[in-house]
Parts: sequence; structure tokens; C-alpha cells
Amino acid sequence: MEARPVQRSGSMVLSNLTRTTTSIPSNPSTGEESFTRSDNTQFISKPLGQQTYHLLSSNNNGAVGHICSSTSSGFSTNLHYSSMASHERHGSSSNDTSWCHDSPHGGFLDFPEASHVEDGGIGSAFDDIQKPNDWHEWADHLITDEDPLLSTSWNDLLLNTSSHSDSKVQIPPQAHQTVQQQPSPSVELRPVGTTSSSSNNGTGKARMRWTPELHEAFVEAVNSLGGSERATPKGVLKIMKVDGLTIYHVKSHLQKYRTARYRPEPSENGSSEKKLTPLEHITSLDLKGGIGITEALRLQMEVQKQLHEQLEIQRNLQLRIEEQGKYLQMMFEKQNSGLEKGTASTSDTSAKSDQEDKKTDDSKELVSEETRNSQEPESSQAKRTKTR
Amino acid sequence: MKFGKRIKEQIQESLPEWRDKFLRYKELKNLISSPDPAEFIFIGLLNSEIEKFNAFFVEQEEDFIIHHKVLQYRIQRLVEKYGDNDDETFREEIGEIRKDIVNFHGEMVLLVSYSNINYTGLAKILKKYDRRSGGALRSPFVQKVLHQPFFKTDLVSRLVREWETTIDAVFPASNAEAERGYERSAAVSSAAAGEGIFRNTVAALVTMREMRRGSSTYSALSLPPVNLYDLDLVLQPIHIPSPILS
Repeated sequence: MEARPVQRSGSMVLSNLTRTTTSIPSNPSTGEESFTRSDNTQFISKPLGQQTYHLLSSNNNGAVGHICSSTSSGFSTNLHYSSMASHERHGSSSNDTSWCHDSPHGGFLDFPEASHVEDGGIGSAFDDIQKPNDWHEWADHLITDEDPLLSTSWNDLLLNTSSHSDSKVQIPPQAHQTVQQQPSPSVELRPVGTTSSSSNNGTGKARMRWTPELHEAFVEAVNSLGGSERATPKGVLKIMKVDGLTIYHVKSHLQKYRTARYRPEPSENGSSEKKLTPLEHITSLDLKGGIGITEALRLQMEVQKQLHEQLEIQRNLQLRIEEQGKYLQMMFEKQNSGLEKGTASTSDTSAKSDQEDKKTDDSKELVSEETRNSQEPESSQAKRTKTR
Repeated sequence: MKFGKRIKEQIQESLPEWRDKFLRYKELKNLISSPDPAEFIFIGLLNSEIEKFNAFFVEQEEDFIIHHKVLQYRIQRLVEKYGDNDDETFREEIGEIRKDIVNFHGEMVLLVSYSNINYTGLAKILKKYDRRSGGALRSPFVQKVLHQPFFKTDLVSRLVREWETTIDAVFPASNAEAERGYERSAAVSSAAAGEGIFRNTVAALVTMREMRRGSSTYSALSLPPVNLYDLDLVLQPIHIPSPILS
């Protein structure tokens, strides 16, 4: 590994950290996800890729179009900051809680805020898009012995990340690429995210997440322009009138579309397999040659179905496990914070302990609440106010 | 150890273009075992892996959406062209389409499998990291992963199920066709194209079963064993090359 000047690492880290503070435009909360955020992470100064995912229209679960880009790099750096900071604070609260409080996003553990957990498309605050082109290089940039320096930089940054513009100003332009925010429109009538364009200019592709509905709109537009050969990206874009759809999206999609139309075979993956010598494969694998093609296909289909079914089961289990874990953790932390504040969980207990301290004759009165009514009203009243 | 081996095998069996898109589990494990793994490096690597998954997944999904339409169109054209005629060319073409549907279905399932394997790998590597560092990075990070594009496989799954329904209409009612000569010509190309997908699929199933068989760290939060009863019945009469089933 090469040695890198600390400064450079610092700026790398800084630019990394900016991503965390990319402003999150307010989302019109439609109860569905309508996050609009695009984030651009280029850790090394190379021609950048701006990774933004627009999910347009709805697929089966009615997800609104959105852009999944993320600040998980931000998330990660928060984590790092937190864990380092907590070391510096000489063992303050556990890492868990320091995450919560230190994150500029108000704590990723604020689930209602950060995660609309439905299937099908949520631009969570913590989606991350970060793209070091080579992790070795990336790791090199980060490796530094100057830990205190690093954490100091991060400290400063995080303290100053109250506003989007602040953080941007701070960032040396070196490795920082654009943050471009685009709305995520919906072909299917869902009002989506806010529109805001960053002042910086991002070249590069924002990745679009297509849906069948959007594609159908695309096909219609193409057909109305005389077919895939005649249609131009510009023309298609104009007809489609979908917010956030750029000419780059359309262009690349059109290219794919043309290829698919004129070579209507299974995708490249399938056809590349065809280049293998078919005979060899047939003789080596009894299963296909011996049982006839239809049966072979049936079998293949059956196996595929099984795999898919198992995958869905597995996925659901995994989701449930995580939910449980999340719930348990929240409960655990609630419990912890309750204990830390020194408050008992029940008012009975506090009343009792107060009473014990006071050593009054009337302490008996509060012990049994059922008899309160029968007590002399004034004295019990006084007692109650004293002991809160 | 077991997962690392499994994912490696899975990658080997996977379609060539996919092979460098999987989680770099071994590298990450090595990083964790190194004397001083900096958390931010680890996280940074994970993030870059996630971005890789997202990019690949979304691109494949786009291809699938396009192909989905193309295939529908082909079937429609075929039905229109031949109507109720049951002649030779019709059967040939429908045989072609059948094969294409099955392979298409297979590829989509493999993408779902891809998503799942990478997710599983991420969860496992995070668990390992926590064990080594004593931290609690795993749970919140996984929460984040759940919202990533590559994890949201619902659209692809929906298309998969659609084609499972459609294929029943395209498959012949009886096995009589299996004996017809015209199938020979289709057999060659079909075997070659489907074989890669088929092997990959079987490998994925085996991987899943093996992974969930139970391990030293099996706990209440682990996945239960896979119920592949039906699959065993299906695969029994077929002699699958041993490397896959070992």
C-alpha cells in the first residue's frame, strides 16, 4: 500500500462525509415512500457516476417513484465518528446510543422517520451509494495513522452540518462530486418527491429504475414515433413527459430495446451459453438429451419454481428476524434509558421510596391505594402532592 | 467457513457475466481478521459492494422488463399468425418460445437468488465483524440494507410468477410431442442455453439447503432448515453431476 498524505485522506474523508449531510428534501408524505434524494459519491476523483435510482410509477406494491440514493456512507461515517468520539469521551454511553444522538439525521434509529418499510421502493435516508472504483485504492486513501486528526475533522464537520449549504461550502471540491436531486415522478398518478436541483453540475448517469408501466409508456411513445429504429431519444422523452426522466435514461433504454427487438432471444447470458459446443453438453448431461426436450424444460421449470419459492420463504424469514431484532433492541434501549435516568418504572415505587425517606406516620396511607378514599381527605391530599 | 465456500461455489456455477458481481465475502473476512480493521474501511467496503449490487440488479431488472414485453409480444404474434392451425412450423416456433420462457423465468429467479445470497452474505459478515469488534454494527446496517434497490425484488418476483402461470398455457397438454422428431433440432440449442441456467439453479438450491442445515452459531435468530422435499423427488430420477450436489 502506498502512503498517502494525511491531508488527502482528510479531504477524502470530508468529501465522504458531505454525503451524509446532503440535504434531504422534505417529502410530501403520502404515506407511501416519496423520497427524493440523489447522492453522488465519488471517493476518488475520477469521472463520476452519480448513482441515483428513480423508481417511477408503481409496480405491484404501488411504490411511488423515488430515488434511492443514499447517505449510508454518511451513515457509516456517523458510525465511525460516533465510535471514535465515544472512545474519546472515555467510555460514555454505549455505541448504540451515541449513534442515535450524533447522527445528523436525527438518529437512524428513528424508524418511523427513516424507514417506510413497505416492499417496493423506499428511498430511505440510509440507502447508500458510494462508489470507489477499486476498494484497494479506496482503502489506501483512508488508511492513516493520524486517527485524532481524522476524528477532529469529522467532529468539525458534524458540528457544522446543521444545514445543507454549510456542509457543501466546507467541502473541498477535490473529490466531491455533485449532488443532484431530482424528483421522482410517477407515471401512474402518484405525486412524488420535491424537485430541487443542486447548484453543482453533475455529469454522469443517474440510474433509473424502470417498471413495466413506465416501459409500456416508453413503447407507446416509440411506436407513435414510427418504431424503434425511427424514434429518437429526444422525441420519446418529449412524448413521455415523465418528470425526472432524462435523455440519458431514454437513450440507454432505447438501445437495450432495439437490441432486444432484433434479437429476441433470451438475454446475452443465455445466448452466450449457446456458444458452447451443444453436442458436448448433451452427451455430458443425460438429463437433457435422454428425456426429451419438453420434459427437460418441464423439469427445469420445476426446479426454478422451487428455487423461487424457497427464496421467497427465506426472504420473509430474514425480514421477520430483523424486525424482531430491531424491536428487541428498541425495547432494550428504552429499558436502559429508563434506568439511567434513575426513574423507577412505576409511580407506586417512587411514592413508596419517597415515603420511606420521609418517615412519616402517614406513609401507610399511600401503600394501600384502595384505602385512600377512606383516609382523611386533607392529609392524604397533602401526602400525594408531596410525593408527586 | 461454510458460507464462504458456498458462495464461492455458487459464483462458479453462475452465469459468466455475473461472476464478479457477487459479494466479496472472502476479502471482507480477511479484512476482519486483519490485526487492525478500521471500522470505516469495513463500512466503506460494504457500501461499495452494495452499490455494485444495486447497479447490477437494477440493470438486469431493466433488461428483464424489456424482455418480458418482447416475449409477450412474440407469443401474441404467434397466436395471431397461426390461429388454431397445428402445423409443423407452429409447433417449432412454440417450442422455441417455450424454451425462451423457461430460460427467461430461470434468469429472473437467479437474479432473486443473487439478491438473496448477497444479502445473506452481508448479514453474516456483519455478524462476524461484531463478534470480532464487540460492536453492534450489524442490526442498524442491515436495516439500511433492507431498503436498498437490490434487496427489493418484488417486481422481479411478480414477473416470475406471471410467467409460471403463462407457461402452463404454452406447454403441451400431453407428452406425445416429446417423441416427435422436430424436437431434436430444438434440443441442441435449448440444452446449451438452458443448461447454464439449470445448473445454476440447482446449485443455488443446494447452497440454500446447505447453508440452513445448522451451524455452530445456530441460534434462535437463525433460519430453519429448508424444506426441499418436493425438490428431492423431482431431482431423484435425474443424474446430476456430483460437483453440484456434493
